[in-house]
Amino acid sequence: MALPGSLRRQPAGRGLVSHCTHHHIVVFLLTFFSYSLLHASRKTFSNVKVSISRQWTPSCLNTTAPELRPYELWSSNHLFPNAEEATLFLGTLDTVFLFSYAVGLFVSGIVGDRLNLRWVLSFGMCSSALVVFFFGTLTEWLHFYNKWFYCCLWVVNGLLQSTGWPCVVAVMGNWFGKAGRGFVFGLWSACASVGNILGAFLASCVLKYGYEYAFLVTASVQFAGGVIVFFGLLTSPKEVGLPELGADEDGSVEEDANRPLMSNDDADDDDRNYSIQATDTDSQPKAIGFFQACCLPGVVLYSLAYACLKLVNYSFFFWLPFYLSNNFGWKEAEADQLSIWYDVGGIIGGTIQGLISDVLQKRAPVLAISLLFAVGSLFGYSRSPNSKPINAVIMAITGFFIGGPSNMISSAISADLGRQDLVKGSSEALATVTGIVDGTGSIGAAVGQYLVSLIQENLGWMWVFYFFILMTSSTILFISPLIVREMRLLLHERRLRVLAE
Amino acid sequence: MGAFLIILLLPLACTVGGAAVCRSCPEPLRNGSVVAQYCASRPGTEREGRCCWERGTHPERLLGLDLSNCSLQNLPPGLAEAFSVAVLDLTENPLMTLPNGSFLGFTLLQLLAVPLPLGCPGGNNAWEKVTTSGSTQLCQGQRNSCNSSGEPAWPCPENAACAPDGPGLVQCLCNSPFHGYKCLREGAFPGLLFCGVLGATTLSLAFLLWGTQRRKAKAP
Repeated sequence: MALPGSLRRQPAGRGLVSHCTHHHIVVFLLTFFSYSLLHASRKTFSNVKVSISRQWTPSCLNTTAPELRPYELWSSNHLFPNAEEATLFLGTLDTVFLFSYAVGLFVSGIVGDRLNLRWVLSFGMCSSALVVFFFGTLTEWLHFYNKWFYCCLWVVNGLLQSTGWPCVVAVMGNWFGKAGRGFVFGLWSACASVGNILGAFLASCVLKYGYEYAFLVTASVQFAGGVIVFFGLLTSPKEVGLPELGADEDGSVEEDANRPLMSNDDADDDDRNYSIQATDTDSQPKAIGFFQACCLPGVVLYSLAYACLKLVNYSFFFWLPFYLSNNFGWKEAEADQLSIWYDVGGIIGGTIQGLISDVLQKRAPVLAISLLFAVGSLFGYSRSPNSKPINAVIMAITGFFIGGPSNMISSAISADLGRQDLVKGSSEALATVTGIVDGTGSIGAAVGQYLVSLIQENLGWMWVFYFFILMTSSTILFISPLIVREMRLLLHERRLRVLAE
Repeated sequence: MGAFLIILLLPLACTVGGAAVCRSCPEPLRNGSVVAQYCASRPGTEREGRCCWERGTHPERLLGLDLSNCSLQNLPPGLAEAFSVAVLDLTENPLMTLPNGSFLGFTLLQLLAVPLPLGCPGGNNAWEKVTTSGSTQLCQGQRNSCNSSGEPAWPCPENAACAPDGPGLVQCLCNSPFHGYKCLREGAFPGLLFCGVLGATTLSLAFLLWGTQRRKAKAP
């Protein structure tokens, strides 16, 4: 992949600005909104749960009151005898979705690297939109209510939705080099939160026409997004003849006289010799295998770390409103609004920590420090007083220290891992690596949902927070070998710089 | 959906099914019965078997039904089709009971004659006037059970209001903008507008992006 020096990207922040073409902006926005729309349709599902469970059950009255008439209007749907069982089933659908999403992530990363990322992404968006349409709209129009049919559709939806994340991260990794990646990806990973807000907004706008229209609208918008992606997305700079990013532009750094020997960030280990297909200089890079991708340094450790962290992060997403209304007795709508502060903290945290990691050119130490603070803020949050402003502030701080690192691992670090030096010549590892990291994370999240409900029922909320603290500490444990390595590199570089001067 | 079907089939039931209940008893309408008197007092009516029809309206409305002296031990299954009657005569039948909800939907019933051992359906409170003559009990003038003075207002779920549904019977119907199962839906989705806006936006964005981004793209 040797390109003439003049075409190589500039390092660090300057490169980011001077090379930011309109293609970069469009790619940023397209990938951002693609994933937002995918997330919006998930959020729609959780926001219409109350309406769905009403639709699926007969009117429940106390046994003394006579039955409501006419029967067709009030009690003709007997999919579930009461709202509790419908809620239980909807929870099961969530779990089913998370597991099939996790499995799908491992697969679709591999598929994305082998086929065209644009095709896979727009296929995933359009087909998952169709499945959502079948699930929420068509079954309602045809009055076809069947538990197994719903389960099957949601498994398929999980598999199809999983094509989104590896593809968008891979495309972003192709366009934005490591130099500004922490900041750009930090900003970009707000897409999930924006998707949540978008989904909640769309659902609340049309929910009065019936829950089927909430699904119809999000599915249609997602389908439209898939079509736009198909016609507008450039998966890599080389498609329009722009210089391709090297394996994290190490070469270009070497050219910069002010930054000597900043190279070989991630690959200074002795294991240089298992560089995969390093001699393969084909213009058509071959995709990396699943197990080869697992063997890349850092992939397994970051995956495990992310599994623990995503568990905590997703538990906050799923359980925070419930915790607030359960523990403090606040209204559900208020609790929903208040829990946005966690998202806000996560977005700001991801962006600022990404920026710091760009400046340091090291990500693991930033993560570790943030996670240490996270343990403290979790402890503080578990003892938050019954006051909404104080709770919101601590919540935002917790989001800053947990959501931030979580966003960073799933986007910027995944992209770093997928484009590291060892993959040079086989640059199509990005989606596979992202799939592995996020897939492991999603398994953690799925297991976590179950564990949190179990712990909360048997031991109470305080133990849920102790469990979160344990998981955050495990995350630190998993990335500690990476910190040691990166700190050694940092010291090594500093020594070399001193020697050069 | 089921509710829609019923509404669609109602006119059909009036003309076809109503005729069946008219022929459920062998003899024709007895002169001097309450149904015959009622029928004679109104212009534009026509007799058919045991029935009295109001002609000229569309769909034709079944006004009166005389099932007296018909050896009925139970109410005939086709009775529900005669829900539009104003006058119904069930006297001189060995009827044991009138099951609760037999007269579901008989909101227009103004005069009901039942054999004496049986009380008026829905209790005496459901009727304006209850009189006895010989072996016949006459129930006259249906009361609206929704705003009966003694009892508290009938509790209907959200977005629905109580409506009379026959003697002593009530139902909950959706308030005006609400419709669908459990009255959960409000208004109609602006489908055309949504399709138009989304389609136009998608097309223009796709063309714009294709023109600026992918037009010069090389095949990967």
